Amino acid sequence: MDFLFLLTLLTYLAASILHVLFLVTGNHKVARSGYWVTTAGFVFHTSFIALRWLSQGHWYDKTTFFAWAIILIYLGLSRLTRLHTIGVFVVPIAFIAIFIAYTLPKGDTAVPVALQNYWLIAHVPIIFLAYAVFVAAFGFGLMYLIEEKRIRKKKYTLIYNLLPALGQSDELAHKCILVGVVLLTVGVFMGGLWMQFDPKSAPKWNDWKVVLTITTWFIYVSQLAIRQVFGWRGRKTAYSAIIGLCAILFTYIGVNLFLPSAHEFWGLGIK
Amino acid sequence: MSQIITVGTSHHVAPLDFREKLVFSENQIIEAFDRLRADYHIRETVILSTCNRVELYAVTDRDDGTTALSDFLSSYRQIERQEFKKFAYNYQNLDAVLHLFRVATSLDSMVVGEPQILGQVKEAYDRSLSAEASGIVLNRLFAKAISVGKRIRTDTNIAIGAVSISYAAVELAKKIFESLENKTVAIIGAGEMSELTARHLVENGVSKVIVANRTYERSVKIAEKFNGIPVPLDDELGFLIDADIVVSSTNAPHYLIRRQPLAEIMRKRKHRHMFLIDIAVPRDIDPEVAKVENAFPYNIDDLEDVVASNLKERQREAATAERIVEEEAAKFGSQLQTFEVAPTIKGLHQHFQQVASKELDTCFNQAQLSPKQQKSVALMTQSIIKKLLHQPTQNLRQAVNDTDGDHVQYVRALQELFALDQAEHTDTERSD
Repeated sequence: MDFLFLLTLLTYLAASILHVLFLVTGNHKVARSGYWVTTAGFVFHTSFIALRWLSQGHWYDKTTFFAWAIILIYLGLSRLTRLHTIGVFVVPIAFIAIFIAYTLPKGDTAVPVALQNYWLIAHVPIIFLAYAVFVAAFGFGLMYLIEEKRIRKKKYTLIYNLLPALGQSDELAHKCILVGVVLLTVGVFMGGLWMQFDPKSAPKWNDWKVVLTITTWFIYVSQLAIRQVFGWRGRKTAYSAIIGLCAILFTYIGVNLFLPSAHEFWGLGIK
Repeated sequence: MSQIITVGTSHHVAPLDFREKLVFSENQIIEAFDRLRADYHIRETVILSTCNRVELYAVTDRDDGTTALSDFLSSYRQIERQEFKKFAYNYQNLDAVLHLFRVATSLDSMVVGEPQILGQVKEAYDRSLSAEASGIVLNRLFAKAISVGKRIRTDTNIAIGAVSISYAAVELAKKIFESLENKTVAIIGAGEMSELTARHLVENGVSKVIVANRTYERSVKIAEKFNGIPVPLDDELGFLIDADIVVSSTNAPHYLIRRQPLAEIMRKRKHRHMFLIDIAVPRDIDPEVAKVENAFPYNIDDLEDVVASNLKERQREAATAERIVEEEAAKFGSQLQTFEVAPTIKGLHQHFQQVASKELDTCFNQAQLSPKQQKSVALMTQSIIKKLLHQPTQNLRQAVNDTDGDHVQYVRALQELFALDQAEHTDTERSD
């Protein structure tokens, strides 16, 4: 199983390199091989998670699930939009996430009693899927900003040619935020239910992670609302996608490092 | 020995008033085929006549073929020998092959990578083919030229990137909007360039055209051409709220679209992206407009820069294309010697093989032969065919190198005597 994990890690590394190489060379064959290598990595990764689930009765290893969700979303978007360039921005993030998981000390793998709870089965993966979709929104936001800069400066470089039209990046970033918000809402709601029905084991509303997650949710929702009412789009959507992801990363890592929270049973296990 | 000869002129060497004297109409081309065959002993002819070039490709056994073709062209068109010499060029054999390949791949065109010439070469070839003016050599030559032309377009970036202002505008629009479907273009002012740009935009999916002019009548008149909506051009520019693309070319001495009013318009259209093309000199659009979020102004210089950089890119690609063309021409040239007889030799061998295998089948069916016996009978048959055909094949190959052009008669005789199908060989070549 460790072998499978290492294999996943290396395959994602190769995929990241191929994607960056695509941006440098502009060779679409490189992009296609990047896609297939990522797919292979995803298969390894999925088998790793499945085996772990079978052998240990849970897959609570958040960092690798985060990476798994990012890749899942990437593969879906790649198929839907035929845009290989998004991979340049999100596949390396998945690699970094799984690399962090790799370097972390292996903690106790048994599931705490408090977490053997049905609410959690939906709560955790849905929130991570939402995060993965936000990562894609971040990628499209970056693509928008880079492309806009080229257009403004009238520099018609290779990257200018490879990146999609402004309208497309903007639209995709917006749609990702929309889907992400829906998922995040459902995920947070599940957490709320858990709190409601099992107040003993669940974290409280004033838990740092809960507070920050709801803040993140507000960032995205207000972006959607302002876009709807005043038409904020383009650069503003891109910026909020980036700010939103920063908030997520802080919720995800910052809390475990600096703030007290009841959300640190497993996963990073740093505290 | 027969030669491939090209005589002609093009925009590189001749002014328009010389080229137009030489231009052939379709009927004149057919007429020229007959005259060249009857009066000038030219065996095969293809005539390429476009607005940029008139070229005659021919195959003849005459040593003075080039002079004969020049004579034909100048006398047919009643051009002074002196003038003709000044503006016409000619190529022989390998050089002629290389020249045709360069023409077909657009390397010799005014705008490298332009798509029309390949079609024109094909058309010229088809005309000769159906008039039976071309034969084994030119059929192969043109089929190869067309396939090289296609290859260059797919294997190099020679045909990539807009090389005219109006196409450059379309390309830039596609970098801002994902697609032009359901987009609205507003044309302010009138002019050939803005109309051409609008037309290209419509061809690429723009669905709504708004035409604004100082006089409403003029708006109506231009709007009719695009099935557009005429609006009066006032200082409010309220119609811009609907416009995703703006093409402006008025004679106004001052800026028509300024930063502050446009920012207001952008607010009203909920900041949907706007692409503004300013073709006017003096400019209609204040460069400050670039600071308005989601508004992307381009002036005529910006568009010309795009064109210039695309042309440069094509020039770079042209170097690769030249290499491919030279390789292909050399490859073709190496087969040139045996070209005229090769299909006949092949056909002859095939014919003998067919007869033999048919007879062997009948024989094996009737006579009770052991497999071993069958094998030796088959071997013997092969050996007979080989020996019988050895001398004629040798002689035919030899005849190509002689100057008297006997091989053409041999080929014709063989084809008729053995009812060999010539078309088959040329067809297989064309499809590659």
